[in-house]
Amino acid sequence: MSDISLTIEEGAFVSILGPSGCGKSTLLYIVGGFVSPTSGAAKMKGKTISGPGPDRGPVFQEFALFPWKTVLGNVMYGPRQQGVQAAEAEGQSRALIEMVGLKGYENFYPKELSGGMKQRVALARTLAYHPEVLLMDEPFGALDAHTRTRLQNDLLNIWERDRKTVLFVTHSVDEAVFLSDKVVMMSKSPGRIRQVINIDLPRPRRRNELLLDPRYQKYVVDIERMFDEVDETGSPL
Amino acid sequence: MTSRLVPMNVVLGLAPIALVIAVWQGLVSSGLAPASLLPPPGIVFGRLLQQLVTWTYQQEIASTLFRLFAGFAIAVVLGVGIGIAAAANPAINAVVRPIVRVLAPLPKVALYPALLLLLGFGHGSKITLVAADALFPILLSTYYGASSVEQKLIWSAMAAGTPRYEILFKVVLPAAMPSILTGCRIGLVISCIVVFLAEMITSTDGLGHVLVTAARTFQAVDMFVPLITISLLGLILNGLLGVLRSYLLRGFPEA
Repeated sequence: MSDISLTIEEGAFVSILGPSGCGKSTLLYIVGGFVSPTSGAAKMKGKTISGPGPDRGPVFQEFALFPWKTVLGNVMYGPRQQGVQAAEAEGQSRALIEMVGLKGYENFYPKELSGGMKQRVALARTLAYHPEVLLMDEPFGALDAHTRTRLQNDLLNIWERDRKTVLFVTHSVDEAVFLSDKVVMMSKSPGRIRQVINIDLPRPRRRNELLLDPRYQKYVVDIERMFDEVDETGSPL
Repeated sequence: MTSRLVPMNVVLGLAPIALVIAVWQGLVSSGLAPASLLPPPGIVFGRLLQQLVTWTYQQEIASTLFRLFAGFAIAVVLGVGIGIAAAANPAINAVVRPIVRVLAPLPKVALYPALLLLLGFGHGSKITLVAADALFPILLSTYYGASSVEQKLIWSAMAAGTPRYEILFKVVLPAAMPSILTGCRIGLVISCIVVFLAEMITSTDGLGHVLVTAARTFQAVDMFVPLITISLLGLILNGLLGVLRSYLLRGFPEA
């Protein structure tokens, strides 16, 4: 990656879109503090990011749930690490599990859940420690189309309630347009920001209305064309 | 479905054991092996039951079990400790790796004469030998398990506010548990073999000693009794470890 300069406003839903190998996940990991940039710096509220912290909560494509903990145990992990008393952490966690639609599954182990359910648990686990920014790394990439759509809808509903800043890595154009305020298009070799597109569509967004909206369709078509260009200029297919 | 499958597996598992006993009985009955040297299984199992209720034989079992458990426990503590430390810290790994490479293939029983001189004929020398032999499979599988923990599990815990030093206990250790327990299973079998071997070579008590004493006085029946005892002990201990394993790994997909 080189010459990446990007500022994200508080409360914005920003998607990073680009061909595989353009470094969009790496960009997310740098913001998360999981990897350090070889040069330059990532800052949050003016402070340079030096490592992971509970103000930035990741959600990974691989779910990364703790297999030795139940759904409740996974969601309670963050609050307990933050020093919240067990009873209080349990109450909050149960409420979050209900919010992501998994009431009744509190004592299940991750292996007993479907992919979509696992990602709901992972989202609840991250929301449980109240991060200011959600870092989502192709969170729905491993799910089938139907589950993916349902999770997109639910994520939007949750997000529209408290408007956390979201940085969302994806390679799906309509996912990016459907969810975001802003789409960051990256190109590869080297990974650069090609263009930042503001998605000027009304909220709250409803899938059935949006799919029929010509403005939505134009965004998807335009960004898909741009995606084709950056993928071709990057490397021969 | 499963209720019919399980007894089927048990039956299949018992078949080869029954076959061994049948061959054994066949060897004696056909006269191929004289009964004075190879006593028939019925007599051996009869003597085993007789012996199991005697105080002296129970004490022999107790000595063997004590050495086995003590040696195995030391091996688990050291193996898991060193394995995790080596996986977590490149400097420790650099120190540990060559030592392990040199010592792991060494037949530890070769150290036994030295251990006898250093620690005497009692528990110390045998416990040390058991620990030395059981250590390496546990250490190596712990190291392997701890170094292949999914990076994103660690990231998830760190983002939730877990300090770096706590990651070892809160993520690496539980995530490596399947490998650790596989190492323990191998270590336990080795412990059973080695404690018996050590007692056969030089001891004043224990099941291995009972066997050697019987062999030297041509007591063929008494020679087979401790052999069967140690196999049964191994079977029971392995079963107990299996129960512990399925409890500890209840959330893991592969268990």
